[in-house]
Amino acid sequence: MERSSIIERVLRAVLLTLIVIFFLFPIVWILLMSFQTNEQILRIPPSLSFVPTLENYKALISGHLLTSAGSLDIAFMRNLGNSVLLSTCAVVLALILGVPAAYAFARFKFWLSEDIAFTLLSFRFAPPLLVLLPLSLYFQDLGLVDTYVGLIWVYQLIALPLILWIVRGYFEDISPDIENAYRIAGHSWLRTFFKIAVPLAGPGIAAAGLLSFIFCWNNFVFALVLASADKQPVTVGALAFVTASGIQYGQVAAAIVLSVTPTLLLALYAQRWLVEGLSLGAVKG
Amino acid sequence: MSASLSLRTVDKVYHPRGRLAVHAVKALSMDVERGEIVALLGSSGCGKTSTLRMVAGFEAVSAGEISLANRRIERLAPAARNVAMAFEGYSLYPPLTVRENIAFALKRGRLSASEVSRRVKEVAALVEIEPILDRYPNAISGGQQQRASLARALVRDAALYVLDEPMGQLEPQLRALLRGRLKRLLKDRAMTSIFVTHDQTEANALADRIAVMEGGVLQQFAPQHVLKEKPANLYVATFIGEPPMNVFDASVIRSEGCTTFELHNGPSFGFGDNELGPEVRQAIGNRRKVVIGVRPHRVVLGSGSAETARVVSNQWLGDQSHVAMAVAGKLLVAVSHARVRAGIGDSVPYGVRAQDLHIFDPDTTVALAHGARAA
Amino acid sequence: MTQIEIRNLHKTFKADAVLNGLSLSVDRGEIVTLFGPSGTGKTVLLRLLAGIYPPDAGTILLRGRDASGSPPDKRGIGMAFQNFALFPHMTARNNIASALTARKTNAGEIARKVEAVAQLLKIGHVLGHSPRELSNGQKQRTALARALVADPDILLLDDPLRNVDAKLRYEMRLELPALLKRVGSTVLYVTQDFKEAMALGDRVAVLLDGRIAQCDTPARIYAEPVNVGVARLFGDPTLNLIEVAPQLVDGAPEIRLGGMRIRLPASYAVAAGGLYLLGLRPEALRLVEAPGPRTVAVELVAVTPLNEKSVLLLTMQGGEELLASEAGDRDEPRRTGPAHVAFDLDALLLFERESGRRFIPSGNGEVAHERIAITSHR
Repeated sequence: MERSSIIERVLRAVLLTLIVIFFLFPIVWILLMSFQTNEQILRIPPSLSFVPTLENYKALISGHLLTSAGSLDIAFMRNLGNSVLLSTCAVVLALILGVPAAYAFARFKFWLSEDIAFTLLSFRFAPPLLVLLPLSLYFQDLGLVDTYVGLIWVYQLIALPLILWIVRGYFEDISPDIENAYRIAGHSWLRTFFKIAVPLAGPGIAAAGLLSFIFCWNNFVFALVLASADKQPVTVGALAFVTASGIQYGQVAAAIVLSVTPTLLLALYAQRWLVEGLSLGAVKG
Repeated sequence: MSASLSLRTVDKVYHPRGRLAVHAVKALSMDVERGEIVALLGSSGCGKTSTLRMVAGFEAVSAGEISLANRRIERLAPAARNVAMAFEGYSLYPPLTVRENIAFALKRGRLSASEVSRRVKEVAALVEIEPILDRYPNAISGGQQQRASLARALVRDAALYVLDEPMGQLEPQLRALLRGRLKRLLKDRAMTSIFVTHDQTEANALADRIAVMEGGVLQQFAPQHVLKEKPANLYVATFIGEPPMNVFDASVIRSEGCTTFELHNGPSFGFGDNELGPEVRQAIGNRRKVVIGVRPHRVVLGSGSAETARVVSNQWLGDQSHVAMAVAGKLLVAVSHARVRAGIGDSVPYGVRAQDLHIFDPDTTVALAHGARAA
Repeated sequence: MTQIEIRNLHKTFKADAVLNGLSLSVDRGEIVTLFGPSGTGKTVLLRLLAGIYPPDAGTILLRGRDASGSPPDKRGIGMAFQNFALFPHMTARNNIASALTARKTNAGEIARKVEAVAQLLKIGHVLGHSPRELSNGQKQRTALARALVADPDILLLDDPLRNVDAKLRYEMRLELPALLKRVGSTVLYVTQDFKEAMALGDRVAVLLDGRIAQCDTPARIYAEPVNVGVARLFGDPTLNLIEVAPQLVDGAPEIRLGGMRIRLPASYAVAAGGLYLLGLRPEALRLVEAPGPRTVAVELVAVTPLNEKSVLLLTMQGGEELLASEAGDRDEPRRTGPAHVAFDLDALLLFERESGRRFIPSGNGEVAHERIAITSHR
């Protein structure tokens, strides 16, 4: 009903504000922390009033961490670069492999097709720690430990099942007649795949790509075991803030802000692809 | 007889404050008598479904009054209105069998179990779903779901039965059968009902009166033969009838004892004053331009007719011929109940009689005269 | 010359035999409408022809050559789908042009052809719109334009008018035959509406139980159906079927109908002794004032309007119901009550009760003599 009284509207606004505060509180708190020194953060009682400082960011970007116990070199910017490299390569690789595979699973019913698709999904069920031990042994034999190639290979195992299953659903939603019509118009199946199926599943591919990027970005255990210091992503690099002289809360907060930024920007950019419902109006309404 | 359902200047505006305000129903007033069957007929987006949903209570009325059995209902909740509704999208409860779905509608009536079972059986026989009574909604076809939904509405005792496209999903053969049964049931029990359809065959077969809607406005509300013989305006004329009326823009030329209608880039039809009576001439007045119309079944084909036209298509449907001819840059469709032997490209003589002529005002599109009478 | 030849085609989906030894041949430039109740495999047949599915068994010859193994893009056919199947991310213009781009025609040539076909189908003004901005009628015309634009010599149309409103459907029914003849393609047109099938087809192929039950001109299908199944699919309302047992009385065949004895022509003598279904088209029944040699006493129960006709519900002695129809524009309305119904022997159909096959009277194959209303002059 569109007739709502003023009380209703005020109430709705108040409720919405409360919900937003509740969900955004941790993020806002971290943002505030990143502009405070450790002493300001840890003072008792806590206070909202402080003089903002850029020390934490300076320390991260310059790579010199000044603690009460002395100065410490950290490779945070390098870690950030590693995260971007690993996640991007893994997602691109998983898209190249996963989108055609998803199409095959959606359109063709071949022998064991359902079993293969399920096996791929089951990669996501296994606890990472269970896989880790055999994996690191194999990687040592193959000489893949502490290489970008090895890490990307492991990372795309996180991304592939997600992409496969999300994109498969989008392909299944496209009426086969749309593709049939393009085939009958004289185009090969490969052209039909690139000109019809991929554009129409675009929003799904974008969503799956973004989601798997976030999963890769947040991965911790694989990188912890399989990568040495110079190839570590931010998730592992953040361990450096747990120093002998205590935890550097200010820098941790600043590191979180910096490491969230790329995914946030990507999500904002991808949003228009996600929202655009291209397949609407394809067949009769 | 007193009106059972009555709508008074009902308006419906969607998103009234938004940029895309949609005025779906405009100042609609109509009365439905007790025991009457009324069809709301129109193309998609004409406001018929909005009207139906306002009556059933699923849509708030923006302005105006609705009363049922002398009780104002436009602000009551759907359940308090004593209205039974069959939905177009069937909307059966998935966890219940078809039988339970139908019986569910009787829950509030506090009937004995045997009475409930008797009624369910009776209505199931009517819509031919007895064999599937114990199946679940997702295990039956779309047409069966629609019939189950119809049964769920009909099984109740209500002051008004509201049916949204009640037979849209059914096979043609079954549809013809169910139409007859539904009409008999509604009439035998004097069940006041109002249904929405875009299919005029259905409206003709079931309804006592038909409300033709377009652009949110009620165009005409009358029994089907009146819609056909005396359409109130050009919209109704070109919407009703299968095929609908042929209409042509014409210039009026008055001469001594004769009125001639000259079609734009086409032939002229002259009628003496003995054919075109004074009432009709007065209705035309001193208009220079009118729109003339003739129903396809009234176009006279064959010798004795003055004009000839080229045949564009000639289709024999087993019991009638549909002949389309090129006249004044448009198609003139003639229907004959006998077989017409004419090939594409042949010239065929045709004519229009004064008593079959419909005359409309070209600006307001309102009918001026039908046959020998003013509108 | 035969353009499409289908021999003994079989197709089964999950143990459900959809096509069961179907054979059909279509001549060049001919329009054949494929008609049958829903779920009889009409759409499946088109898809087999287009190469979307492979057949389980049987042969499809296109232009005299075996098409098996040839993919959809190599068959050189045009097809319009029931759900339109427009490409949602392309404008109407690009949708139509898609049928030409694969053939590497140059851009100017493509634009010219798209404009021409759009003009023909009256969608020139919406070529720049995307499918979601088109009305249902415009979508349907765009889909048709896409099928026509490459001048395919074989055109498959899958119930293209199903999803458009009644008025547009009627207009297209009048326009399509001339349009298709102008293009000159061989057309296989699927429909569920017998009127559409009769109006558009040079021949109508009736698909029943996975086979073509009959393929003939519309007039002959209507007047001389091969069996009761075909007969029932045509006519609105459909024909009356009454069980009869013809007998020889004084050497002449007779049936009993509503308590009356009706004498049949001598050519029906062979039918005596068997069980038959008498098929009477509603329009072949006439209400008459007085009883006569071939009339049956009835009670007129109800008169209902159906389009431009009136359908009369009659009950015979013994309660059996008959439907008759007549032109709906009588000056004075019929009054219900006792009446007599007469029928044309010409329009009489007799079907064997067991097999459903139509009984063909000995001596003459011609049954229906159509009344001729006017003769045309050229």
